[in-house]
Amino acid sequence: MTKKMQLLQLKFPARAEEMCTVRQKLREVLGTCSKSESTINCIVLAVGEACMNIIQHAYGSSEKGDIVLEVEKLGSDMIFRLRDFAKHKTCAKEMQSRPLDELRPGGLGCHIINEIMDEVQLIDCEKSCGNVLQMKKCLSPPKGQTG
Amino acid sequence: MESSLKSEKGYDLLLLSGEVDLQYSPKVREKILGALRQGKPLLIDMESVSYIDSSGIASLVEGFQTAKSAKLPYGLLNISDPAMQVLTLTRLDKIFSLYTSTEQFSQQL
Repeated sequence: MTKKMQLLQLKFPARAEEMCTVRQKLREVLGTCSKSESTINCIVLAVGEACMNIIQHAYGSSEKGDIVLEVEKLGSDMIFRLRDFAKHKTCAKEMQSRPLDELRPGGLGCHIINEIMDEVQLIDCEKSCGNVLQMKKCLSPPKGQTG
Repeated sequence: MESSLKSEKGYDLLLLSGEVDLQYSPKVREKILGALRQGKPLLIDMESVSYIDSSGIASLVEGFQTAKSAKLPYGLLNISDPAMQVLTLTRLDKIFSLYTSTEQFSQQL
């Protein structure tokens, strides 16, 4: 049976100014799991977009709170879990990509997350405050390549 | 993130470097729109952009739309690999005019 390994647990204030440090820590962890700079860049981008959604839409301008980022490795899968404690309940529709033929600023974050990650799932936490978003990315290289 | 605006012959050149994220994208948006308000074509050098997220991309899109309305040439120069990854993911690499030299941009003014 494949053992689940926790690689990172990080609690930080949901503020744009925190994101540079969060990305740096995530990059360090990912560097131990993948040699591909491009894969690491993509994952850091997707997790950053998910944090930004929490900052802008879950907490918004009127509420302050924290984000907890957990990173786990299960075989070749990397699991990224983001928990917030906002009053706003994020629904699945909010995580959908918008049509790209509609050229307008904004609304690209969910598209980026869905393109990069293999699985994106809101975990039901109806009884408690906040939201949990789980994203999964398989690090197995495509056939014929080494990762 | 750092940015600086240089006036070149017939156009403005905006140099961006570092991480263009939610913290800095409002500043980038202001720089882009402020430059376009001067009524000159704008070229944005992205060679030293190490990270850009959807908020930074939104600033570039807003600049693109503003330039298009004002019929001003608008382009992106020497896009770094991390920035190109994001443009490709969002398929904006097919929308923006991309350049690999300032001469290329100057020629079409």
